[in-house]
Amino acid sequence: MRKFFPVEELARDSRFHQVTMRDRMADGRSVYRSEAQSKKVNNNRLVPSRPDASDAARGLMHGIFVGEIQALEGAGRTCHDFETNVEAPFALKLDMARQAWDEARHVEISVKLSDWMGSEIGQFAENTVLFEAACSTDPVLRLAGVNRALEGLAIDVFTTMKEFGDLAGDPYLEFCEDWMLADEVTHVKMGSDWLRRVTEGDPQRRTKALEFQSVVDKLFSYGGTRSDSQESPIGLARRFRELAGFTDDEVQDIAAVSMEALDERKAAVARMHAAAALAEASGQAGTHG
Amino acid sequence: MSTAVNVTVTPDTFHFVSFDAALIQRVAESLVAALGLGDREVVIEVDETTPLARVTVDIGDTITIRAESGAFEDTRKPRNQSETATATSLGRVLLRAKDRLSGGFGEAPADSALTLAQSAAWETYSVGRLDRLGIPVNQQRWRYNFRNRHGFHDASDAAFDRLWSSDGLTWGELDEISRAGATAP
Repeated sequence: MRKFFPVEELARDSRFHQVTMRDRMADGRSVYRSEAQSKKVNNNRLVPSRPDASDAARGLMHGIFVGEIQALEGAGRTCHDFETNVEAPFALKLDMARQAWDEARHVEISVKLSDWMGSEIGQFAENTVLFEAACSTDPVLRLAGVNRALEGLAIDVFTTMKEFGDLAGDPYLEFCEDWMLADEVTHVKMGSDWLRRVTEGDPQRRTKALEFQSVVDKLFSYGGTRSDSQESPIGLARRFRELAGFTDDEVQDIAAVSMEALDERKAAVARMHAAAALAEASGQAGTHG
Repeated sequence: MSTAVNVTVTPDTFHFVSFDAALIQRVAESLVAALGLGDREVVIEVDETTPLARVTVDIGDTITIRAESGAFEDTRKPRNQSETATATSLGRVLLRAKDRLSGGFGEAPADSALTLAQSAAWETYSVGRLDRLGIPVNQQRWRYNFRNRHGFHDASDAAFDRLWSSDGLTWGELDEISRAGATAP
C-alpha cells in the first residue's frame, strides 16, 4: 500500500465536492461588516437566537462530518506511513489506531446528526485543509498539526455545538457533541504527550513542531471563523483546552493567532470590495453574469 | 438591469458570485405566475457582498425582494447558483406577500416584528405549499428549524405537520397552531 497519500486523491463518491483553502479565501464576500455599515458590534457567534441559527448549525455539522472523515484518514495514515520503532514508536501508532476507531464512530454519529438536522451527505462543500495538515513526512509534525491543532479546533467546535444544543433544547445534539468532545480532549492529550516524549532531548525538533502547529492553528482559524471575538461563529474553549493539556501561554498564543487571522481576513475582504468598486466605477468590472 | 414582463433583477452582472440574473428572473416569473401575483411588479435586489442568506420583502404596488447571495447559492459549490435554492428562497417570501395581500393576515405583525417562533411557523406553512407546487424541499430541514423555535417534543411535531399540510390559513389560525406547538405536553 502506498505511503503518504496526497490530498487530491482522497476517496470520495460523487456526492462530495471539495474546495481548498485558496478557493475559500478567494471568496470576496464577508459576514464581517465594516463599522460604517454597522452601528453595533457585529455578533456572529453561533447561538440559537441567531435568525439563521438552524441553517448555520446544519452547515457547521456537515463541516464536522467531513472533518471527522479527514481526521480518520489522517490518524490511519500515521499508523501506516511510518516504520514501527524506527520512525514512530509502536505505542504511538497504537494510540493513532485507537484514535482512528474514535473518528470512525464520530463519522457515523455526524451522519446521523446531519440527517436529524435535515442535511444530506455532501450537501455542503468539503474543505480539505484538515487532511492537508496531516500530510507531513515527520510524525512529530503530524502530532502537532493533527492532534494539537486540528483536534484543538474540534474542541472549540464541539463546545460551541454542545452549547447550541443545550440552549436550543435539542437533546440529541447536546448529548452527542458532549461524548465526541470527551474523545477530542483525549486526542489532544495524546498528541501533547507524544510530542513531548518523541522530542525529548531534541529541542530543535520540538520547536519546529510547535511552529508548525502555530501555522496550522492560524489556518484552522479559517480567516476568523474561530476566535475569542463575538464576530467569530466559534469561540475558543479555554476550559476544555486546559483539560486537554494546553498551557495558559499556549491558549493565549492560539487566541492571538486567531485574532490575527480574523483581522487579516477583514482587511482582505475590504481590499476585495474596494477593488470591485473601483472596477465597477471604471466600467471594467468582472466577467460573471 | 434585466427586465421581463413584470420581474426586474439587479444587478444584472455579478462580481463576487457566479449568478445568472436571467435565471433568477425566470424562476421568479414562474413563481409569480403559479402564485397568481401577476398583477404586481416584482423587483429583486441581490446583495452579493455577503454569503448570508436573509431574504426580506416589502409589499406595495411593487413587491420588492432583497436577497443576500447565500439565499440563492449552491452550498455544494460556493459562489455558484442553485436553481432550487433560488426557487425556495423566492417562493417563501412571495408566498408571504401573497398571504398578506390575500386577506386573513391583516393582524400579522410586520416581518421585522415577528418572533422567531412565528417566523418559523410561517416558513413551515410556506415551504409545505412550495413542496406541493413541485419545488424540491427537504422537510426534515424545516422540521429541525421549527423544533429549534418551538421545542423538541411531540406537540411541536404535531403543529409542524399541521402547518406543513395546510392551505388557506389565516394569521390567527397560523399563530394559534404555533402557540400550541410551543407548549410542551
